[in-house]
Amino acid sequence: MIEATGLTKRYGDKIAVNDVTFTVQPGKVTGFLGPNGAGKSTTMRMIVGLDRPTSGSVTVNGRVYKEHSAPLREVGALLDAKAIHTGRSAFNHLLAMGATHGIGAARVREVIALTGLESVANKRVGGFSLGMGQRLGIAAALLGDPATLIFDEPVNGLDPEGVRWVRQLVRGLAAEGRTVLLSSHLMSEMAQTADHIIVLGRGKVLADAPVDEMVNASSRTVVRVRTPFADEFSSLFGSSVSFTRVAADLLEVEGATPAQLGDAAARAGLALHELTPVVGSLEEAYLRLTDDDVEYRTGGLAALIEKAGVV
Amino acid sequence: MTAASLTVAPADRGGLRATGLLRSEWIKLRSVRSTIWAYAVTIVGGIGLSAMLGLSTSVEGLTAADQTSLVVQAATMGLLLAQLSVSILGVLVISGEYSTGMIRSTLTAAPRRYSALLAKAAVFAAVTFVVGLIITFGSYFVAASLMATRGAESSLGDPGVISALVGGALFLSLIGVLSLGIGTIVRSGAGGIAATIGLLMLAPIVFALIPAEWAADVARYLPTAVGGAMYQIPLDGGTGMDPVQGLLFLLVWVAVALGSGAALLTRRDA
Repeated sequence: MIEATGLTKRYGDKIAVNDVTFTVQPGKVTGFLGPNGAGKSTTMRMIVGLDRPTSGSVTVNGRVYKEHSAPLREVGALLDAKAIHTGRSAFNHLLAMGATHGIGAARVREVIALTGLESVANKRVGGFSLGMGQRLGIAAALLGDPATLIFDEPVNGLDPEGVRWVRQLVRGLAAEGRTVLLSSHLMSEMAQTADHIIVLGRGKVLADAPVDEMVNASSRTVVRVRTPFADEFSSLFGSSVSFTRVAADLLEVEGATPAQLGDAAARAGLALHELTPVVGSLEEAYLRLTDDDVEYRTGGLAALIEKAGVV
Repeated sequence: MTAASLTVAPADRGGLRATGLLRSEWIKLRSVRSTIWAYAVTIVGGIGLSAMLGLSTSVEGLTAADQTSLVVQAATMGLLLAQLSVSILGVLVISGEYSTGMIRSTLTAAPRRYSALLAKAAVFAAVTFVVGLIITFGSYFVAASLMATRGAESSLGDPGVISALVGGALFLSLIGVLSLGIGTIVRSGAGGIAATIGLLMLAPIVFALIPAEWAADVARYLPTAVGGAMYQIPLDGGTGMDPVQGLLFLLVWVAVALGSGAALLTRRDA
Protein backbone atom coordinates (compact mmCIF):
# COMPACT_ATOMS: atom_id res chain seq x y z
CA MET A 1 0.00 0.00 0.00
CA ILE A 2 1.30 3.40 -0.98
CA GLU A 3 -0.10 6.46 0.77
CA ALA A 4 0.66 10.02 -0.31
CA THR A 5 -0.51 12.92 1.81
CA GLY A 6 -0.31 16.52 0.64
CA LEU A 7 2.71 15.57 -1.44
CA THR A 8 4.29 18.63 -3.05
CA LYS A 9 7.46 19.11 -5.09
CA ARG A 10 8.76 22.44 -6.24
CA TYR A 11 11.74 23.06 -8.51
CA GLY A 12 12.45 26.76 -8.10
CA ASP A 13 9.24 28.56 -9.12
CA LYS A 14 7.87 25.56 -10.90
CA ILE A 15 5.48 23.24 -9.07
CA ALA A 16 5.89 19.72 -10.41
CA VAL A 17 3.58 18.05 -7.90
CA ASN A 18 1.00 20.14 -6.11
CA ASP A 19 -0.57 18.92 -2.87
CA VAL A 20 -1.29 15.41 -4.10
CA THR A 21 -3.10 12.92 -1.87
CA PHE A 22 -3.88 9.36 -2.92
CA THR A 23 -3.72 5.74 -1.85
CA VAL A 24 -2.59 2.80 -3.95
CA GLN A 25 -4.24 -0.41 -2.76
CA PRO A 26 -2.75 -3.91 -2.82
CA GLY A 27 -4.18 -6.58 -5.09
CA LYS A 28 -4.91 -4.13 -7.88
CA VAL A 29 -3.14 -2.51 -10.76
CA THR A 30 -3.37 1.22 -10.22
CA GLY A 31 -2.70 3.36 -13.25
CA PHE A 32 -1.04 6.72 -12.99
CA LEU A 33 -2.33 8.54 -16.01
CA GLY A 34 -1.51 11.97 -17.30
CA PRO A 35 0.12 13.90 -20.10
CA ASN A 36 3.87 14.42 -20.13
CA GLY A 37 4.90 16.88 -17.44
CA ALA A 38 1.90 16.07 -15.25
CA GLY A 39 4.12 15.03 -12.33
CA LYS A 40 3.87 11.23 -12.61
CA SER A 41 7.60 10.51 -12.61
CA THR A 42 8.36 13.08 -9.92
CA THR A 43 5.75 11.51 -7.67
CA MET A 44 7.20 8.06 -8.28
CA ARG A 45 10.72 9.31 -7.56
CA MET A 46 9.50 10.74 -4.26
CA ILE A 47 7.96 7.37 -3.32
CA VAL A 48 11.40 5.71 -3.40
CA GLY A 49 13.21 8.70 -1.92
CA LEU A 50 15.14 9.83 -4.99
CA ASP A 51 13.52 13.26 -4.78
CA ARG A 52 12.77 14.87 -1.48
CA PRO A 53 9.24 16.28 -1.14
CA THR A 54 9.04 20.04 -0.61
CA SER A 55 6.16 19.29 1.72
CA GLY A 56 3.84 16.44 2.52
CA SER A 57 4.87 12.82 2.71
CA VAL A 58 4.52 9.48 1.06
CA THR A 59 4.82 6.09 2.74
CA VAL A 60 5.01 2.51 1.57
CA ASN A 61 3.38 -0.02 3.89
CA GLY A 62 3.23 2.63 6.58
CA ARG A 63 6.84 3.77 6.43
CA VAL A 64 8.86 6.28 4.50
CA TYR A 65 10.89 4.28 1.95
CA LYS A 66 14.29 4.94 3.45
CA GLU A 67 13.13 3.83 6.91
CA HIS A 68 12.64 0.27 5.69
CA SER A 69 15.37 -2.16 6.74
CA ALA A 70 15.21 -3.97 3.39
CA PRO A 71 14.05 -1.40 0.81
CA LEU A 72 14.52 -3.63 -2.25
CA ARG A 73 12.45 -6.38 -0.66
CA GLU A 74 9.74 -3.83 0.11
CA VAL A 75 9.50 -1.92 -3.16
CA GLY A 76 10.68 -2.76 -6.66
CA ALA A 77 10.89 0.20 -8.97
CA LEU A 78 11.47 0.69 -12.66
CA LEU A 79 11.79 4.45 -12.92
CA ASP A 80 14.10 4.86 -15.83
CA ALA A 81 15.28 2.08 -18.11
CA LYS A 82 18.54 3.97 -18.51
CA ALA A 83 19.42 4.03 -14.81
CA ILE A 84 22.12 1.45 -15.43
CA HIS A 85 25.87 1.74 -15.94
CA THR A 86 26.40 1.19 -19.65
CA GLY A 87 29.77 -0.51 -19.21
CA ARG A 88 28.46 -3.35 -17.09
CA SER A 89 26.73 -6.56 -18.15
CA ALA A 90 23.09 -7.13 -17.26
CA PHE A 91 24.07 -10.04 -15.02
CA ASN A 92 26.66 -8.02 -13.10
CA HIS A 93 24.28 -5.08 -12.77
CA LEU A 94 21.66 -7.28 -11.16
CA LEU A 95 24.27 -9.08 -9.07
CA ALA A 96 25.56 -5.74 -7.71
CA MET A 97 22.03 -4.49 -7.00
CA GLY A 98 21.07 -7.74 -5.27
CA ALA A 99 24.29 -7.96 -3.27
CA THR A 100 23.22 -4.95 -1.20
CA HIS A 101 20.42 -7.08 0.26
CA GLY A 102 22.21 -10.42 0.27
CA ILE A 103 20.40 -11.53 -2.89
CA GLY A 104 22.61 -13.99 -4.76
CA ALA A 105 23.29 -15.23 -8.27
CA ALA A 106 20.50 -17.82 -8.16
CA ARG A 107 17.79 -15.16 -7.81
CA VAL A 108 19.56 -13.02 -10.42
CA ARG A 109 19.33 -15.90 -12.91
CA GLU A 110 15.67 -16.34 -11.98
CA VAL A 111 14.72 -12.75 -12.80
CA ILE A 112 16.82 -12.87 -15.97
CA ALA A 113 14.83 -15.92 -17.09
CA LEU A 114 11.57 -14.30 -16.00
CA THR A 115 12.24 -11.27 -18.19
CA GLY A 116 13.59 -13.22 -21.14
CA LEU A 117 17.09 -11.74 -21.03
CA GLU A 118 19.09 -15.02 -20.98
CA SER A 119 20.68 -14.49 -24.37
CA VAL A 120 21.99 -10.99 -23.56
CA ALA A 121 22.69 -11.37 -19.83
CA ASN A 122 26.46 -11.26 -20.29
CA LYS A 123 26.47 -8.43 -22.82
CA ARG A 124 27.23 -4.86 -21.86
CA VAL A 125 24.11 -2.81 -21.18
CA GLY A 126 25.36 0.02 -23.40
CA GLY A 127 24.38 -1.99 -26.47
CA PHE A 128 20.85 -2.71 -25.29
CA SER A 129 17.78 -1.52 -27.16
CA LEU A 130 15.22 0.49 -25.20
CA GLY A 131 13.05 -2.62 -24.99
CA MET A 132 15.85 -4.72 -23.51
CA GLY A 133 16.61 -1.88 -21.09
CA GLN A 134 12.98 -1.95 -19.95
CA ARG A 135 13.15 -5.69 -19.39
CA LEU A 136 16.35 -5.27 -17.39
CA GLY A 137 14.72 -2.52 -15.33
CA ILE A 138 11.77 -4.82 -14.64
CA ALA A 139 14.19 -7.63 -13.70
CA ALA A 140 15.87 -5.29 -11.20
CA ALA A 141 12.49 -4.33 -9.74
CA LEU A 142 11.60 -8.00 -9.23
CA LEU A 143 14.96 -8.91 -7.59
CA GLY A 144 13.80 -8.57 -4.00
CA ASP A 145 10.41 -10.23 -4.64
CA PRO A 146 8.79 -7.06 -3.26
CA ALA A 147 5.16 -6.64 -2.24
CA THR A 148 5.00 -3.23 -3.92
CA LEU A 149 5.98 -2.50 -7.50
CA ILE A 150 6.32 0.81 -9.27
CA PHE A 151 6.73 0.95 -13.03
CA ASP A 152 7.18 4.26 -14.84
CA GLU A 153 6.10 3.89 -18.46
CA PRO A 154 7.17 0.24 -18.64
CA VAL A 155 5.90 -0.39 -22.15
CA ASN A 156 7.93 2.40 -23.74
CA GLY A 157 10.06 0.95 -26.48
CA LEU A 158 8.57 -2.53 -26.28
CA ASP A 159 7.27 -4.39 -29.32
CA PRO A 160 3.63 -5.59 -29.29
CA GLU A 161 4.66 -8.95 -27.88
CA GLY A 162 6.61 -7.19 -25.13
CA VAL A 163 3.67 -4.91 -24.36
CA ARG A 164 1.43 -7.95 -23.93
CA TRP A 165 4.04 -9.57 -21.71
CA VAL A 166 4.22 -6.51 -19.42
CA ARG A 167 0.45 -6.40 -19.23
CA GLN A 168 0.24 -10.05 -18.19
CA LEU A 169 3.10 -9.61 -15.75
CA VAL A 170 1.57 -6.66 -13.90
CA ARG A 171 -1.86 -8.29 -13.84
CA GLY A 172 -0.24 -11.43 -12.45
CA LEU A 173 1.66 -9.47 -9.79
CA ALA A 174 -1.54 -7.76 -8.66
CA ALA A 175 -3.38 -11.09 -8.64
CA GLU A 176 -0.76 -12.35 -6.17
CA GLY A 177 -1.88 -9.59 -3.82
CA ARG A 178 0.89 -7.12 -4.57
CA THR A 179 0.49 -3.38 -4.84
CA VAL A 180 1.20 -2.29 -8.40
CA LEU A 181 1.51 1.31 -9.53
CA LEU A 182 1.97 1.80 -13.24
CA SER A 183 2.29 5.06 -15.12
CA SER A 184 1.46 5.79 -18.70
CA HIS A 185 0.37 8.63 -20.89
CA LEU A 186 -1.49 6.14 -23.07
CA MET A 187 -5.13 5.76 -22.11
CA SER A 188 -5.57 2.69 -24.27
CA GLU A 189 -2.81 0.92 -22.35
CA MET A 190 -4.39 1.81 -19.02
CA ALA A 191 -7.84 0.68 -20.12
CA GLN A 192 -6.47 -2.79 -20.74
CA THR A 193 -4.18 -3.06 -17.73
CA ALA A 194 -5.42 -1.03 -14.78
CA ASP A 195 -8.21 -1.66 -12.29
CA HIS A 196 -8.03 1.77 -10.79
CA ILE A 197 -6.88 5.02 -12.27
CA ILE A 198 -5.41 8.16 -10.80
CA VAL A 199 -5.34 10.95 -13.36
CA LEU A 200 -2.71 13.64 -12.88
CA GLY A 201 -2.63 16.96 -14.68
CA ARG A 202 -0.26 19.82 -13.92
CA GLY A 203 0.80 18.16 -10.71
CA LYS A 204 -2.72 17.73 -9.34
CA VAL A 205 -4.97 14.72 -8.95
CA LEU A 206 -7.83 15.26 -11.42
CA ALA A 207 -9.56 11.94 -10.85
CA ASP A 208 -9.10 8.90 -8.65
CA ALA A 209 -11.56 6.13 -9.39
CA PRO A 210 -12.04 2.58 -10.66
CA VAL A 211 -11.68 2.35 -14.42
CA ASP A 212 -15.36 1.58 -15.04
CA GLU A 213 -16.59 4.33 -12.80
CA MET A 214 -14.32 6.83 -14.45
CA VAL A 215 -15.60 5.94 -17.88
CA ASN A 216 -19.21 6.18 -16.72
CA ALA A 217 -18.83 9.40 -14.80
CA SER A 218 -16.76 11.38 -17.21
CA SER A 219 -18.16 10.41 -20.53
CA ARG A 220 -21.51 11.05 -22.10
CA THR A 221 -23.78 8.05 -22.45
CA VAL A 222 -25.23 8.37 -25.87
CA VAL A 223 -27.83 6.12 -27.44
CA ARG A 224 -27.90 5.76 -31.19
CA VAL A 225 -31.38 5.38 -32.63
CA ARG A 226 -32.09 4.48 -36.25
CA THR A 227 -35.67 4.90 -37.37
CA PRO A 228 -37.48 6.02 -40.55
CA PHE A 229 -39.71 8.13 -38.25
CA ALA A 230 -36.98 10.35 -36.81
CA ASP A 231 -39.11 13.51 -36.57
CA GLU A 232 -42.11 11.79 -34.98
CA PHE A 233 -39.82 9.92 -32.62
CA SER A 234 -38.00 13.00 -31.36
CA SER A 235 -41.29 14.81 -30.72
CA LEU A 236 -42.23 12.14 -28.16
CA PHE A 237 -39.80 13.55 -25.58
CA GLY A 238 -39.53 16.69 -23.52
CA SER A 239 -36.61 19.13 -23.31
CA SER A 240 -34.64 16.93 -20.90
CA VAL A 241 -33.75 14.64 -23.75
CA SER A 242 -31.60 16.03 -26.54
CA PHE A 243 -31.38 14.76 -30.12
CA THR A 244 -28.65 15.15 -32.66
CA ARG A 245 -29.56 14.34 -36.24
CA VAL A 246 -26.64 12.38 -37.67
CA ALA A 247 -28.42 11.24 -40.85
CA ALA A 248 -31.98 11.30 -42.19
CA ASP A 249 -32.82 8.15 -40.27
CA LEU A 250 -30.17 8.30 -37.52
CA LEU A 251 -30.31 10.15 -34.21
CA GLU A 252 -27.90 10.41 -31.28
CA VAL A 253 -29.82 10.74 -28.07
CA GLU A 254 -28.62 12.00 -24.73
CA GLY A 255 -30.61 12.04 -21.51
CA ALA A 256 -32.59 8.83 -21.80
CA THR A 257 -31.78 5.13 -21.40
CA PRO A 258 -32.25 2.64 -24.28
CA ALA A 259 -35.15 1.10 -22.32
CA GLN A 260 -36.97 4.43 -22.01
CA LEU A 261 -36.45 5.14 -25.70
CA GLY A 262 -37.60 1.67 -26.83
CA ASP A 263 -40.69 1.73 -24.60
CA ALA A 264 -41.72 5.16 -25.87
CA ALA A 265 -41.32 4.06 -29.49
CA ALA A 266 -43.45 0.93 -28.86
CA ARG A 267 -46.25 2.95 -27.21
CA ALA A 268 -46.31 5.34 -30.20
CA GLY A 269 -46.18 2.45 -32.68
CA LEU A 270 -42.96 3.70 -34.32
CA ALA A 271 -40.59 1.11 -35.75
CA LEU A 272 -36.95 1.28 -34.61
CA HIS A 273 -34.24 -0.25 -36.79
CA GLU A 274 -31.45 0.24 -34.30
CA LEU A 275 -31.13 1.07 -30.63
CA THR A 276 -27.49 1.09 -29.48
CA PRO A 277 -25.98 2.45 -26.28
CA VAL A 278 -22.61 4.00 -27.10
CA VAL A 279 -20.28 3.69 -24.13
CA GLY A 280 -17.80 6.51 -23.89
CA SER A 281 -14.22 5.33 -24.14
CA LEU A 282 -11.63 5.87 -21.44
CA GLU A 283 -9.71 7.89 -23.95
CA GLU A 284 -12.61 10.26 -24.28
CA ALA A 285 -12.92 10.51 -20.52
CA TYR A 286 -9.22 11.20 -20.19
CA LEU A 287 -9.15 13.91 -22.82
CA ARG A 288 -12.15 15.52 -21.19
CA LEU A 289 -10.40 15.54 -17.83
CA THR A 290 -7.03 16.78 -18.96
CA ASP A 291 -8.34 19.09 -21.62
CA ASP A 292 -7.54 22.23 -19.67
CA ASP A 293 -4.49 20.76 -18.06
CA VAL A 294 -2.21 19.79 -20.88
CA GLU A 295 0.84 21.86 -20.19
CA TYR A 296 2.23 22.06 -23.67
CA ARG A 297 -0.57 22.28 -26.15
CA THR A 298 0.16 21.79 -29.78
CA GLY A 299 -1.25 25.19 -30.46
CA GLY A 300 0.90 26.74 -27.79
CA LEU A 301 4.04 25.27 -29.25
CA ALA A 302 3.13 26.35 -32.76
CA ALA A 303 2.46 29.86 -31.50
CA LEU A 304 5.77 29.84 -29.70
CA ILE A 305 7.66 28.79 -32.79
CA GLU A 306 5.88 31.42 -34.82
CA LYS A 307 6.70 34.06 -32.26
CA ALA A 308 10.35 33.01 -32.26
CA GLY A 309 10.37 33.48 -36.01
CA VAL A 310 11.60 29.97 -36.70
CA VAL A 311 9.06 29.45 -39.49
CA MET B 1 5.68 -16.48 -6.09
CA THR B 2 2.47 -17.00 -4.23
CA ALA B 3 0.56 -14.63 -2.00
CA ALA B 4 1.79 -16.68 0.94
CA SER B 5 5.42 -15.89 0.15
CA LEU B 6 4.63 -12.23 0.66
CA THR B 7 3.75 -12.70 4.30
CA VAL B 8 7.34 -13.57 5.18
CA ALA B 9 8.78 -10.62 7.07
CA PRO B 10 11.47 -8.84 5.04
CA ALA B 11 13.91 -8.97 7.95
CA ASP B 12 13.90 -12.78 7.80
CA ARG B 13 15.14 -12.68 4.23
CA GLY B 14 18.13 -10.44 4.69
CA GLY B 15 18.02 -6.68 4.66
CA LEU B 16 20.32 -3.90 3.64
CA ARG B 17 23.66 -4.52 5.37
CA ALA B 18 27.09 -2.95 5.34
CA THR B 19 28.65 -6.22 4.11
CA GLY B 20 26.11 -6.30 1.29
CA LEU B 21 26.95 -2.74 0.28
CA LEU B 22 30.67 -3.54 0.28
CA ARG B 23 30.08 -6.64 -1.83
CA SER B 24 27.91 -4.65 -4.22
CA GLU B 25 30.55 -1.95 -4.67
CA TRP B 26 33.22 -4.61 -5.21
CA ILE B 27 31.10 -6.21 -7.95
CA LYS B 28 30.56 -2.77 -9.50
CA LEU B 29 34.26 -1.91 -9.43
CA ARG B 30 35.46 -5.16 -10.98
CA SER B 31 32.70 -5.49 -13.58
CA VAL B 32 33.53 -2.36 -15.55
CA ARG B 33 36.33 -2.81 -18.04
CA SER B 34 37.71 0.71 -17.65
CA THR B 35 38.57 0.01 -13.99
CA ILE B 36 40.77 -2.93 -14.98
CA TRP B 37 42.45 -0.86 -17.68
CA ALA B 38 43.02 2.11 -15.43
CA TYR B 39 44.66 -0.06 -12.77
CA ALA B 40 46.77 -1.87 -15.36
CA VAL B 41 47.99 1.43 -16.79
CA THR B 42 48.66 2.70 -13.26
CA ILE B 43 50.83 -0.30 -12.42
CA VAL B 44 52.75 -0.36 -15.70
CA GLY B 45 53.24 3.41 -15.71
CA GLY B 46 54.22 3.55 -12.06
CA ILE B 47 56.78 0.77 -12.19
CA GLY B 48 57.98 1.98 -15.60
CA LEU B 49 58.75 5.47 -14.33
CA SER B 50 60.64 4.05 -11.35
CA ALA B 51 62.61 1.79 -13.69
CA MET B 52 63.65 4.79 -15.81
CA LEU B 53 64.76 6.61 -12.71
CA GLY B 54 66.59 3.53 -11.52
CA LEU B 55 68.50 3.49 -14.80
CA SER B 56 69.54 7.11 -14.62
CA THR B 57 70.20 7.79 -10.94
CA SER B 58 73.82 7.87 -9.86
CA VAL B 59 74.76 7.02 -6.28
CA GLU B 60 78.51 7.61 -6.49
CA GLY B 61 80.14 8.89 -3.34
CA LEU B 62 77.03 8.80 -1.19
CA THR B 63 76.68 7.39 2.29
CA ALA B 64 74.85 4.06 2.67
CA ALA B 65 71.83 5.83 4.22
CA ASP B 66 71.62 8.28 1.33
CA GLN B 67 71.97 5.44 -1.18
CA THR B 68 68.93 3.82 0.43
CA SER B 69 67.13 7.16 0.31
CA LEU B 70 67.74 7.46 -3.41
CA VAL B 71 66.64 3.91 -4.16
CA VAL B 72 63.42 4.54 -2.25
CA GLN B 73 63.04 7.86 -4.06
CA ALA B 74 63.34 6.08 -7.40
CA ALA B 75 60.94 3.40 -6.23
CA THR B 76 58.28 5.91 -5.16
CA MET B 77 58.72 8.29 -8.09
CA GLY B 78 56.23 6.15 -10.00
CA LEU B 79 53.58 7.35 -7.58
CA LEU B 80 53.64 10.76 -9.30
CA LEU B 81 52.28 9.09 -12.41
CA ALA B 82 50.11 6.62 -10.54
CA GLN B 83 48.35 9.33 -8.54
CA LEU B 84 47.26 10.90 -11.81
CA SER B 85 45.44 7.82 -13.11
CA VAL B 86 44.14 6.88 -9.65
CA SER B 87 42.67 10.33 -9.11
CA ILE B 88 40.97 10.21 -12.51
CA LEU B 89 39.60 6.76 -11.70
CA GLY B 90 38.43 7.99 -8.30
CA VAL B 91 36.37 10.73 -9.95
CA LEU B 92 35.01 8.38 -12.63
CA VAL B 93 33.93 5.74 -10.12
CA ILE B 94 31.22 8.13 -8.93
CA SER B 95 30.73 10.49 -11.91
CA GLY B 96 30.17 7.44 -14.12
CA GLU B 97 27.15 6.63 -11.98
CA TYR B 98 25.78 10.11 -12.56
CA SER B 99 26.44 10.20 -16.30
CA THR B 100 24.84 6.79 -16.89
CA GLY B 101 21.98 7.26 -14.43
CA MET B 102 23.20 4.28 -12.39
CA ILE B 103 23.21 6.50 -9.30
CA ARG B 104 19.40 6.24 -9.21
CA SER B 105 19.61 2.44 -9.03
CA THR B 106 22.33 2.68 -6.38
CA LEU B 107 20.36 5.11 -4.21
CA THR B 108 17.13 3.14 -4.59
CA ALA B 109 18.94 0.09 -3.22
CA ALA B 110 20.57 2.14 -0.45
CA PRO B 111 18.24 5.05 0.32
CA ARG B 112 20.35 6.09 3.31
CA ARG B 113 22.78 7.40 0.82
CA TYR B 114 25.94 8.08 2.79
CA SER B 115 26.28 4.34 3.52
CA ALA B 116 26.49 3.62 -0.20
CA LEU B 117 29.17 6.30 -0.59
CA LEU B 118 31.16 5.03 2.38
CA ALA B 119 31.03 1.47 1.01
CA LYS B 120 32.20 2.74 -2.37
CA ALA B 121 35.05 4.69 -0.75
CA ALA B 122 36.10 1.72 1.40
CA VAL B 123 36.21 -0.72 -1.52
CA PHE B 124 38.00 1.74 -3.77
CA ALA B 125 40.51 2.55 -1.01
CA ALA B 126 41.22 -1.14 -0.32
CA VAL B 127 41.68 -2.09 -3.98
CA THR B 128 43.81 0.97 -4.66
CA PHE B 129 45.93 0.24 -1.60
CA VAL B 130 46.69 -3.24 -2.95
CA VAL B 131 47.48 -1.77 -6.36
CA GLY B 132 49.68 0.77 -4.58
CA LEU B 133 51.60 -2.02 -2.80
CA ILE B 134 52.16 -3.76 -6.15
CA ILE B 135 53.52 -0.50 -7.55
CA THR B 136 55.76 0.53 -4.65
CA PHE B 137 57.20 -2.92 -3.94
CA GLY B 138 57.42 -3.76 -7.66
CA SER B 139 59.16 -0.43 -8.29
CA TYR B 140 61.49 -0.97 -5.37
CA PHE B 141 62.71 -4.33 -6.65
CA VAL B 142 63.10 -3.03 -10.20
CA ALA B 143 64.86 0.20 -9.13
CA ALA B 144 67.02 -1.53 -6.51
CA SER B 145 68.26 -4.19 -8.91
CA LEU B 146 68.97 -1.63 -11.66
CA MET B 147 70.85 0.63 -9.25
CA ALA B 148 72.70 -2.30 -7.72
CA THR B 149 74.51 -2.71 -11.05
CA ARG B 150 76.07 0.69 -10.33
CA GLY B 151 76.95 -0.16 -6.80
CA ALA B 152 73.96 1.09 -4.84
CA GLU B 153 73.41 -0.97 -1.76
CA SER B 154 69.96 -1.20 -0.34
CA SER B 155 67.70 -3.81 1.17
CA LEU B 156 64.12 -3.97 2.35
CA GLY B 157 65.47 -4.32 5.86
CA ASP B 158 67.10 -0.87 5.83
CA PRO B 159 65.50 1.59 8.24
CA GLY B 160 62.39 3.25 6.86
CA VAL B 161 62.20 1.32 3.58
CA ILE B 162 59.16 -0.84 4.31
CA SER B 163 57.43 2.06 6.02
CA ALA B 164 58.02 4.28 2.95
CA LEU B 165 56.75 1.65 0.51
CA VAL B 166 53.62 0.92 2.55
CA GLY B 167 53.18 4.67 3.14
CA GLY B 168 53.35 5.24 -0.63
CA ALA B 169 50.59 2.69 -1.22
CA LEU B 170 48.48 4.28 1.50
CA PHE B 171 49.11 7.72 -0.03
CA LEU B 172 47.88 6.47 -3.41
CA SER B 173 44.79 4.97 -1.85
CA LEU B 174 43.92 8.16 0.06
CA ILE B 175 44.46 10.32 -3.03
CA GLY B 176 41.94 8.03 -4.75
CA VAL B 177 39.37 8.53 -1.98
CA LEU B 178 40.00 12.29 -1.98
CA SER B 179 39.22 12.31 -5.71
CA LEU B 180 36.12 10.20 -5.12
CA GLY B 181 34.96 12.84 -2.64
CA ILE B 182 35.58 15.62 -5.17
CA GLY B 183 33.75 13.61 -7.84
CA THR B 184 30.76 13.26 -5.50
CA ILE B 185 30.68 17.00 -4.89
CA VAL B 186 31.02 17.93 -8.57
CA ARG B 187 29.03 14.97 -10.07
CA SER B 188 30.56 15.38 -13.52
CA GLY B 189 33.57 13.57 -14.93
CA ALA B 190 35.12 16.54 -16.70
CA GLY B 191 34.55 18.95 -13.82
CA GLY B 192 35.69 16.46 -11.22
CA ILE B 193 38.89 15.58 -13.07
CA ALA B 194 39.67 19.25 -13.63
CA ALA B 195 39.15 20.05 -9.95
CA THR B 196 41.19 17.06 -8.81
CA ILE B 197 44.11 17.63 -11.16
CA GLY B 198 43.97 21.29 -10.21
CA LEU B 199 44.32 20.48 -6.53
CA LEU B 200 46.91 17.74 -6.89
CA MET B 201 49.11 18.99 -9.73
CA LEU B 202 48.45 22.67 -10.39
CA ALA B 203 47.99 24.08 -6.90
CA PRO B 204 51.53 23.10 -5.76
CA ILE B 205 53.01 24.93 -8.77
CA VAL B 206 50.82 28.00 -8.40
CA PHE B 207 51.55 28.43 -4.70
CA ALA B 208 55.26 27.86 -5.29
CA LEU B 209 55.23 30.72 -7.81
CA ILE B 210 53.63 33.22 -5.44
CA PRO B 211 56.52 34.99 -3.67
CA ALA B 212 54.94 35.27 -0.25
CA GLU B 213 55.39 33.54 3.07
CA TRP B 214 51.71 32.55 3.32
CA ALA B 215 51.80 30.93 -0.12
CA ALA B 216 54.70 28.76 0.99
CA ASP B 217 52.74 27.83 4.11
CA VAL B 218 49.70 26.84 2.05
CA ALA B 219 51.88 24.82 -0.30
CA ARG B 220 53.25 22.84 2.63
CA TYR B 221 49.77 21.60 3.53
CA LEU B 222 48.49 20.66 0.07
CA PRO B 223 47.55 16.96 -0.29
CA THR B 224 50.54 16.00 -2.41
CA ALA B 225 52.94 17.84 -0.09
CA VAL B 226 51.69 16.28 3.15
CA GLY B 227 51.33 12.94 1.37
CA GLY B 228 54.95 13.11 0.23
CA ALA B 229 56.06 12.80 3.84
CA MET B 230 54.45 9.36 3.90
CA TYR B 231 56.86 7.81 1.42
CA GLN B 232 60.01 9.92 1.30
CA ILE B 233 63.15 9.30 3.35
CA PRO B 234 64.89 12.69 3.69
CA LEU B 235 68.48 12.84 2.44
CA ASP B 236 71.34 13.55 4.88
CA GLY B 237 69.08 12.52 7.74
CA GLY B 238 67.24 15.84 7.16
CA THR B 239 63.90 16.46 8.80
CA GLY B 240 60.59 17.23 7.16
CA MET B 241 57.09 16.42 8.24
CA ASP B 242 57.18 12.93 9.70
CA PRO B 243 55.15 10.19 7.95
CA VAL B 244 52.46 9.97 10.65
CA GLN B 245 51.91 13.75 10.55
CA GLY B 246 51.68 13.55 6.77
CA LEU B 247 49.11 10.77 7.02
CA LEU B 248 47.03 12.74 9.51
CA PHE B 249 47.01 15.88 7.36
CA LEU B 250 46.06 13.85 4.28
CA LEU B 251 43.27 12.20 6.26
CA VAL B 252 41.92 15.68 7.05
CA TRP B 253 41.79 16.44 3.31
CA VAL B 254 40.03 13.14 2.63
CA ALA B 255 37.54 13.67 5.46
CA VAL B 256 36.66 17.16 4.24
CA ALA B 257 36.16 16.05 0.61
CA LEU B 258 34.28 12.85 1.38
CA GLY B 259 32.27 14.46 4.18
CA SER B 260 31.17 17.33 1.93
CA GLY B 261 30.35 14.83 -0.81
CA ALA B 262 28.27 12.72 1.59
CA ALA B 263 26.42 15.75 2.94
CA LEU B 264 25.57 16.95 -0.58
CA LEU B 265 24.62 13.44 -1.73
CA THR B 266 22.19 13.08 1.17
CA ARG B 267 20.62 16.48 0.60
CA ARG B 268 20.32 16.63 -3.16
CA ASP B 269 17.66 15.09 -5.40
CA ALA B 270 19.06 12.26 -7.47
